Amino acid sequence: MNNEVYSFALKSTLQEIQNICPDVSNTFIFQDEKILAQDETTPEKTINQTIDAFTAITEKADIIGGMNNLTIQGTNGRANIACINNFYLATISSKEADEKYVNTLTRILIPTVIRLLEKIHPALPGDETLTPVYHEPIEPEPVEDEVAEDAADQTEDQQEEESDQFVEETATTKDEEEQFEPEIDTEPLLPEPPVTQLIVENIGGLLVASDTVRIDNEVIIQWNELYGDKKINEVTIETLSGKTTRCKFKQIKKSKDTGKGIIKMPEKIQLTLETSEGALVTVKPVIE
Amino acid sequence: MVKKKRSQQENSTTVIVDDDELSAAPEEDEAYTDLSNKLAEIRKDKDVIGYILRSATSATIDLKEPEKIVEYAIFSSQVLDSSREIADLYELDDVKSVLVEGKETKALCMDINGNKISIFMEKTADHADILKRISP
Repeated sequence: MNNEVYSFALKSTLQEIQNICPDVSNTFIFQDEKILAQDETTPEKTINQTIDAFTAITEKADIIGGMNNLTIQGTNGRANIACINNFYLATISSKEADEKYVNTLTRILIPTVIRLLEKIHPALPGDETLTPVYHEPIEPEPVEDEVAEDAADQTEDQQEEESDQFVEETATTKDEEEQFEPEIDTEPLLPEPPVTQLIVENIGGLLVASDTVRIDNEVIIQWNELYGDKKINEVTIETLSGKTTRCKFKQIKKSKDTGKGIIKMPEKIQLTLETSEGALVTVKPVIE
Repeated sequence: MVKKKRSQQENSTTVIVDDDELSAAPEEDEAYTDLSNKLAEIRKDKDVIGYILRSATSATIDLKEPEKIVEYAIFSSQVLDSSREIADLYELDDVKSVLVEGKETKALCMDINGNKISIFMEKTADHADILKRISP
């Protein structure tokens, strides 16, 4: 996933917030003085001026332990800039807006979207500015909330109009997008590596590799079923005291040792882990 | 000429800028004194760390950490200036109050009839109640 997709997802979320809550007039998200996403109504110049004013406070906020949240209550409305997951979300609302409702909405919806984005692709963009460039139309995510669904219906027409715009703008950035294409092809999410508890048994001899443990074939088969084509060449072993090491593995050869929940471990690895025969260790596959 | 005198509380410092040109109108003095009394009362709350009250001619500062007066004063001033800028950008009209929540403490800043107030408090403090008590 690239920055544009992040930006698009956040921008759509901001737009939904304004659709659900018409008393919210302006919303944008920034990080390190850079705009990550903005609604369609707020001019960039205004946002930059806001960020400058906000940064001026932040620079002097050490005295209160750094900035978390700023709320300006004016006669005609309210401005709020809140720190959410290392981002700052700015929300401007009219005096009629229900502060609690707006806060609840923004502080649930935005982190949810960010969490979803992080799940899809764990590395959040750090150095690059997220440019709010329109992408090919993406169906709005069925974001946990029923409210979001309702709002999506309401904005369907609006989005269709926008879609036309997207196509037009996409054409101009076609080359650029082609570069990103491989990144957009997100790989299927891999399940968490399963942790298996095994009992250490010694293994020795001239032909035994000192950097390889031997594991029950049933366990290896389970891993292979779970990860399909992914090659598993190594395992991470952890003792109860927290010592860990990573090493190669092979299946246990002798049939009398299979199905007993043991891990045959050379002395060298036992020394590294400060463990010995009979001790319990946890083993999980390393998925590259 | 600048005089300093101790007032109200042990740590409270009142700075009076005694200049003919800056001399305040009697009603302004009254407003300042009224706010000063209210703040002294609020300061007694255990969650309140201190406050700064500043008018064109006087300033009263009462903080738990007097050695950090300058930092608190600069911060207060910046909060009010930046808030004014942001309020103008979005046509919020007059700034009634500004709440800045930090990771350790929070500050409630406002401008009441030209008297600039910043109240510093623990995060657990009820800032809404304090706002009610200080508002005219």
